[in-house]
Amino acid sequence: MQASNLPRRAGVGFKPEHFEAILADTSPPGFLEIHAENYMGAGGPPHARLARLRQDHALSIHGVGLSIGAMQPLDSDHLARLKALCDRYEPESFSEHLAWSSHDTIFLNDLLPLPYTLATLIRVAEHIDQVQEALGRQMLLENPATYLTFAESTLQETEFLAEIARRTGCGLLLDINNVFVASTNHNVDPLDYLARFPLSKVREIHLGGHAETVDDAGAPLLIDSHDTPVKDPVWALYETVLGRTGPIATLIEWDNDVPDWPVLRAEAEAAGRLLAAAHRLVA
Amino acid sequence: MSRDTQDRFAAALLDRESPVPQGLESWTGTAPPRRFAVYRNNVMQGLIGALASRFPATEKIVGRDFFTAMADAYIGKHPPRSPVLLTYGEDFPDFVAGFEPAAGLVYLPDVMRLEAARSRAYHAADAEPLTAATFAAIPTPRLSDLILTPHPSLAILRSAYPAVLIWAMNSGKAEPAPLTAWPAEDALVVRPHMLVEVHRLPPGGAVFLQALADGLTLGCAVEAALGDAPAFDLSQNLAGLIRSGGFISLRLEEPANAC
Amino acid sequence: MNKSLASLALAGSLATALTTLAAPAASAADAKEKCYGIALKGQNDCAAGPGTTCAGTSKIDYQKNAWKLVPTGTCETMKVPGGMGSLMQGPAPV
Repeated sequence: MQASNLPRRAGVGFKPEHFEAILADTSPPGFLEIHAENYMGAGGPPHARLARLRQDHALSIHGVGLSIGAMQPLDSDHLARLKALCDRYEPESFSEHLAWSSHDTIFLNDLLPLPYTLATLIRVAEHIDQVQEALGRQMLLENPATYLTFAESTLQETEFLAEIARRTGCGLLLDINNVFVASTNHNVDPLDYLARFPLSKVREIHLGGHAETVDDAGAPLLIDSHDTPVKDPVWALYETVLGRTGPIATLIEWDNDVPDWPVLRAEAEAAGRLLAAAHRLVA
Repeated sequence: MSRDTQDRFAAALLDRESPVPQGLESWTGTAPPRRFAVYRNNVMQGLIGALASRFPATEKIVGRDFFTAMADAYIGKHPPRSPVLLTYGEDFPDFVAGFEPAAGLVYLPDVMRLEAARSRAYHAADAEPLTAATFAAIPTPRLSDLILTPHPSLAILRSAYPAVLIWAMNSGKAEPAPLTAWPAEDALVVRPHMLVEVHRLPPGGAVFLQALADGLTLGCAVEAALGDAPAFDLSQNLAGLIRSGGFISLRLEEPANAC
Repeated sequence: MNKSLASLALAGSLATALTTLAAPAASAADAKEKCYGIALKGQNDCAAGPGTTCAGTSKIDYQKNAWKLVPTGTCETMKVPGGMGSLMQGPAPV
């Protein structure tokens, strides 16, 4: 099984509007990440651009539609499409979410939460085994941004992820913005969450922006909106994590209200500076 | 979790009027409607955004609020069946054709069909178009037996309205202006290389190209086009066909087959 | 039509077509009236087609009822002759 192997540098989520700027950039980011489902057409400009970028850049394929957390079988057609995409571009890493997004035959187009129980753990582990076998590679599983919890949960999210990684051999994608968003939403200290997180399994980190609102009770409710720069508390948590793990491939996610290239590039550079410091610390 | 938990969650996501499903909590209370609304909102806004990016001219024609409401009604009746949203909205034009608040805009479904064809062409398989030189090299006595393979991106649309002009006015090709004429318009949509192109077709052109795309011989396609439009201009249509890059390979049919 | 006659007529048309193709392409100004003139190429092709995202949205929900809405985009500018397709035929006149 091919292990996830991204360079320990700062990367960005690739947006088509940045294609020319990335080609022209003399010091481009350390890797690019794409959403798998946006490259499942037969041909045309998306594949032409990606094939061109792949010549010069490390690649992470990030799925948003496999619905690994669904209590129904994985969509075998979709798994076949993912395999074709991974075979075509041979990415350094493939990742998906601890979430569900399809129900019966309907695709719900969001990363929906699941209760953390032994039953869901067994189901998710089965699905990850199936994905890793089909793709012939290790996958990374990402911690979700959540807005509510389930009365039936019996495990903590961190326990759940640790046990999934132990059973399946998958790696973890630690989304630190999701940690901050979910911890705030559930009135948990994000440092406590990170202290419980199985950091030794982390092969990629996500950083992104979020929006701030309040719930029915007036308590802060953060939304994982990826439409702003990374916020200060998330940078602080990132530094804390790097201090424990050493440098790890880190992605800046900016999916809504996408800025001009220099703005996104500056975010990646900021992550790159912290990574460089972590490299020096290791050395 | 039981399968029931996801059944209830999914049903409540798509029905804005329904209460928050049982078993959901937050530290601030037991039934957090605003928290559940985040998921409901993500689903709907994401899908409306997907449709808006596939039908941008349509959104311009009707305005954002109307488009959003129309898309919302469509999503409720026709939620996506695949995580590949590139193809979502294939039957949105048919839905709008029966959507009463838009009934006054009789041309709208055809403009939407043109937009849907453009996005299909955008993602279609790549193929190298035939060149003029290839056509020039065909032995003259066999021309009527010629059979062409259409480009994977090729689509032909027929409208009883000026759908091409209206689309052009709402996609930056022409300024929206009062329409002084009301002709039927046919279109060829094709992506010979990396740009999707829309060609307005001359009389008989749609029937001619559709016949060729369906695998009829050139001779039979000409007959069909003349039957559709006596004004069919063969040399103009052949020039257009070749220049458009709409066909990718050719072969010669064994002679003597009737159309 | 006789097959060889058909091929002969086709040959003449093809020859004319190939001559046309050798000439410079029609100007953009012809786009409005001419058929097969200049291709109306897509603008901002980067954005063509829906995309997926793993982000949520901070845009708040709306509660608009389509049945109470009237289209308010460029359809108001593109008045059409004889009232065909005009808003006046809609269920909720402006």
